[in-house]
Amino acid sequence: MAIEISDIIENWVPNNSKVIDFGCGDGSLLQKLKTDKNILGYGVEINDKKIISCLEKGVSVIKQDIDMGLGEFESLSFDIAIMARSIQCLKEPRPALNRMLNLSKECVVTLPNLGYWRCRINLAMGRMPVTPDLPSSWHETENIHLCTINDFEKLCNDESITIKQKVFLNSNGKEGMMSSINPNLYATEGVYLLEKK
Amino acid sequence: MKVETKIFNFEDGIDLENGAKLSSFELIVEMYGELNEDKSNAVLLCHAFSGNHHAAGKNDEGLIGWWDQLVGPEKAIDTNKYFVVCCNNLGGCSGSSGPISINPDNGEIYGSSFPQVSVVDWVNSQKMLTDKLGISKWHFIAGGSLGGMQALQWSISYPNYVLKAGIFAAAAKSSTQNIALNEVAREAIRKDPNFLNGEYIAEGVKPKDGIKTARMLGHITYLSEENMDIRFGRKFQDAESKISGEVDFEVENYLQYKGEKFSESFDANSYIIMTKAMDNCDFAIDDDALSKSLKNVKASLLIIGFYSDWLYPPERGKEIQIAAIKENIDSSYIVLDGEQGHDSFLFRTEKYEEAIKKFIE
Repeated sequence: MAIEISDIIENWVPNNSKVIDFGCGDGSLLQKLKTDKNILGYGVEINDKKIISCLEKGVSVIKQDIDMGLGEFESLSFDIAIMARSIQCLKEPRPALNRMLNLSKECVVTLPNLGYWRCRINLAMGRMPVTPDLPSSWHETENIHLCTINDFEKLCNDESITIKQKVFLNSNGKEGMMSSINPNLYATEGVYLLEKK
Repeated sequence: MKVETKIFNFEDGIDLENGAKLSSFELIVEMYGELNEDKSNAVLLCHAFSGNHHAAGKNDEGLIGWWDQLVGPEKAIDTNKYFVVCCNNLGGCSGSSGPISINPDNGEIYGSSFPQVSVVDWVNSQKMLTDKLGISKWHFIAGGSLGGMQALQWSISYPNYVLKAGIFAAAAKSSTQNIALNEVAREAIRKDPNFLNGEYIAEGVKPKDGIKTARMLGHITYLSEENMDIRFGRKFQDAESKISGEVDFEVENYLQYKGEKFSESFDANSYIIMTKAMDNCDFAIDDDALSKSLKNVKASLLIIGFYSDWLYPPERGKEIQIAAIKENIDSSYIVLDGEQGHDSFLFRTEKYEEAIKKFIE
């Protein structure tokens, strides 16, 4: 599934652009963008093991806790910022989203959808959702701010953030018919290209 | 590990940043491992202010090199793979031209007349060494503290000669506090009755007490408060190992011992020159100026800071990283858990070793 998401993101990232990837993990996405789009990329990561994986791939990386704000990094500017499957792990997603949009004109955000029907069934059965996309139980998960597609789009609207493009993926990691018609119910993942109004 | 120690003579001398000239000079160099056929595996290590060319392994006097934990066979900087070079800097007192050397112009010991050298001068002299070794590009140049500043200066001065640079526990400039602490150390040396305005060698004496006090202060700044607490706490020194009758606590004994040992081996004029070079080092008056000085850098940078370092705290490394991103330089900035304060850059931890290893591979 990760392959499809990175392909979508890649389509939105201009050639030779300067990219910052918040919560870049092991640096795979930046490495792919570097190879395919000749970008200059910087990852932001807090986990030392993942940072070392970035160094191994030759991906530039900055150790920083995004929740602590960006401090001096706020004076920088990028062509595009990416936050792939990280926003729901932050203590304060809203300020983080706004900070991202101050650093770069466009932002890519991807997030798991808690409105997905399987999650709803889990909740209807009285249990916290555990699905292939959200495999960890409530006490183990890093996802502390899960939301639905509708919730996220409302936040964008409240914060005067324009959704320039969006793609919804189904449980096969593909753009399916059902997930396009009713993403809040059928999409497992939302992929957004955002811009500050 | 194959080790070679060699003195290189530079007959044409060097023009120094402050306008002075050394008509000729020498650098003592230690080299580990072997240079490959296309000379693409060369690594240059730059030492901190009181370091020297002995970076790795055990020398004839039985001393372990200052970066032995990270440099050697299968270590972070693997001497099985890389040809590793480290020289004693100009103005030092371990075998390269410095205050205890003979001035070739008049046949007398330089003493206090050895000119003030700078980070730029060190890098220029190392570049002359590079040419002698026939190396056209260093695979990696690295150092901690003042050594990190040299690695950065290399990337700025000779962008085509550096593929990757490691800047550890360093800064783009010495802070006000750094300068202040160095001045206390220098004052201790100058006020030693045996200092004699720096002409002590001619009089056959040595300002050992001054150097000792300076080093004791230095040691406090290299360690973190927590590390001192863990190592010594408020433990009393046992009577048998007391270095002097005035010592009560273990930490006092440690500082006395370290200071005493250092004062036997290090030269006072050298101490003043090296700390002044550190104070004078400044890549930037403000943030924008730092970006400007980094404009031509082509090397990938790995900037590492340590949480427990209060002398050159991680924020100083971050300033370099920010300026580097502004100039679109490939650069990574990480902060590690080293417990030894500023000295953390000397010690191996798993993450530190891994980070360096993966970065240079």
